[in-house]
Amino acid sequence: MTHILLVEDDHGTATEITLELTASGYDVTRCTTVAEGGRRALADGVDLLIVDRQLPDGEGLDLIGLLRDKGRRTPVLVLSALGSLDDRVRGLRAGGDDYLAKPFALVELIARVQALLRRPDDSRDTRLIAGPLDLDLLGVTGTRAGRPLDLLPRELKLLEYMVRRTGRIVTRSMLLQDVWGYNFEPNSNVVDVHMGRLRRKVDADGEAQLIRNVRGQGYVFDITD
Amino acid sequence: MSSTSPTDPRARAIWRWGGAIAALLVVQSIILAGLFWLLAAHSHEREAEHGFARDCETFAALASPLRPATLRAMLTRDIHRDRFLAIFAADGSPIEGNVARLPHPATTGTKSFVAPIRATELPGKTHDVARLALCTLPDGEKLLTGVDLDDSEEALRVVRQSLLFALGPGILIALAFGLFAGRRAARQVDAIRRLTARIMSGSLEDRLPVSDRPDSFEQLCAHINAMLDRLQALVLDMRAVGDDIAHQLRTPLTRLRARLERSLRDTHDRAGFETAAIDALGEIDKLLGVVAAMLRIRELEDHARRSRFAPVDLAKIAADACELHRPIAEDRGIDLVCTIAPLPPFDGDDSLLIEALSNLIDNAMKFGPANGRVAVDLRRDGHHAVLSVTDDGAGVPVSDRLLVTQRFYRGSHEVDGVGLGLSLVKAIAELHGCTLAFASDRSCVSLVFASDRDNDKRPRH
Repeated sequence: MTHILLVEDDHGTATEITLELTASGYDVTRCTTVAEGGRRALADGVDLLIVDRQLPDGEGLDLIGLLRDKGRRTPVLVLSALGSLDDRVRGLRAGGDDYLAKPFALVELIARVQALLRRPDDSRDTRLIAGPLDLDLLGVTGTRAGRPLDLLPRELKLLEYMVRRTGRIVTRSMLLQDVWGYNFEPNSNVVDVHMGRLRRKVDADGEAQLIRNVRGQGYVFDITD
Repeated sequence: MSSTSPTDPRARAIWRWGGAIAALLVVQSIILAGLFWLLAAHSHEREAEHGFARDCETFAALASPLRPATLRAMLTRDIHRDRFLAIFAADGSPIEGNVARLPHPATTGTKSFVAPIRATELPGKTHDVARLALCTLPDGEKLLTGVDLDDSEEALRVVRQSLLFALGPGILIALAFGLFAGRRAARQVDAIRRLTARIMSGSLEDRLPVSDRPDSFEQLCAHINAMLDRLQALVLDMRAVGDDIAHQLRTPLTRLRARLERSLRDTHDRAGFETAAIDALGEIDKLLGVVAAMLRIRELEDHARRSRFAPVDLAKIAADACELHRPIAEDRGIDLVCTIAPLPPFDGDDSLLIEALSNLIDNAMKFGPANGRVAVDLRRDGHHAVLSVTDDGAGVPVSDRLLVTQRFYRGSHEVDGVGLGLSLVKAIAELHGCTLAFASDRSCVSLVFASDRDNDKRPRH
């Protein structure tokens, strides 16, 4: 079972996170201080750390520093009420692998935890095959069961991003951040419109839905159905 | 001073100041008195030596037999009895005079020395101390000439006493002046202390007095006043923001509460609850969006983000923004036209710039007419790069130009939104040192970027 160490001093937040992670099938250990977090993180069997920045005995980023100094590559997701982009940059620079500003949706947290635990295979393959899908990344073309998909370059990138994260929820901000390369919250549903078009192209009438919209959460690419 | 005890910091300051000034004056007086005393003693000695030299010359010129009578006459004329004169034979035996024998030690010459002598004609005493000179006369006889030191010591004592006497009042005057100056300085500092105490208790209205021709201390006061003006403005602004937030959040919160209440009362199946919960989540996300946007505007206004600035390609940002909005524009039947000229790199934050542009495009699509045209145009205009978004609508009325960039101002309440978009755009523009311009004749909002040259000189707040 995947073991997650949560270092968070706010009882309410910690409880919510623990419940959500447990419900998603993770084994969660909780602690509230940098000192205890450091001790437990260095013990064996921790697959992922979720660390709050403002802890009673110090700065959560120091914990990451400690871990990295000891040569541990355990992925770390930094949580913080300091939600500005500057803090995000500082958090990532300190050795965190991802950064989530409070308040966050629990689904966003789960999506990012999944993303960290199973880094996508960043293979340089120029051909990607998933179920009925066959994508030619160089030629910017793709087919579904032989039917050509008339994809725009951005749509192909979106689809590639989804396919490489098969079975996992991908949120709008992850798409904007990783596919477009910008870090902001659009005040209109621009990303959804892009995804809507992509879905219509990939999932024609009568075909099984490969891309599902998880309402209020994001999108999942799945070929098991 | 009656109100201040020595443990009072204000009294301590006064005493410290007063004491320092008094000590300075006292040291100065002592140095002055010492110098005076030294000079007086020296001049006295020189005067005596002049006299001794004259005596030696007089007696050297006289024949040996005439000397005792002359000496006696001189002693008789000395009514103060402070002169010592004596003639000794070459073997040291006294011939005439009021000194019994040659003093020890003795040096010959006009250079004077101080030595005890045996006086023979002083009433009531035989021993005395005198400043003396011993000269050898041409025929081998020796002349001892000298003055009683009692008198010169007396004179110096008078000098010393008068100096000491003057020192007393001097110290008092110094202390008084010191205390006065110290109190004045303490009073000025105290004025600032009282003001800061009032500020700490929450009152920002008070200011320090500054005269028409301020001294350096008053210039400090003027600076403190200016600082307080700025602080007060910021606090007022913050209060206004707080009120705005409270006001803006109350309406959706009330709506959310009503909706939850209604679903709790009317919904009886799982699907119904699910719908209600999803709706509620949507509302909450909107609320969080408002809070996040407020925080972001505040953060941008702090101007601290420039540390993250890197060269960005405005053309790529404009192209990406167009690409991002094209599907939504097509869905709404809006013709999104982008004309993008390549430009040299500009120092900035690409995420913020695309956010600003995205807001402008979004506004143009929202407020322009349906099935209209929205043009995004990036071009070089002289030294400036101009990024403008134009729609077919009426644009922002002139009277509203200042208002639209204020938080929560909404030109039209028919359109969904909370009125933070343009104030966010303005904050991003200001952070990048560019201006937000509205065209006068059509609906066109432009971001005017300073030239690359000005880019380096941008004021760093």
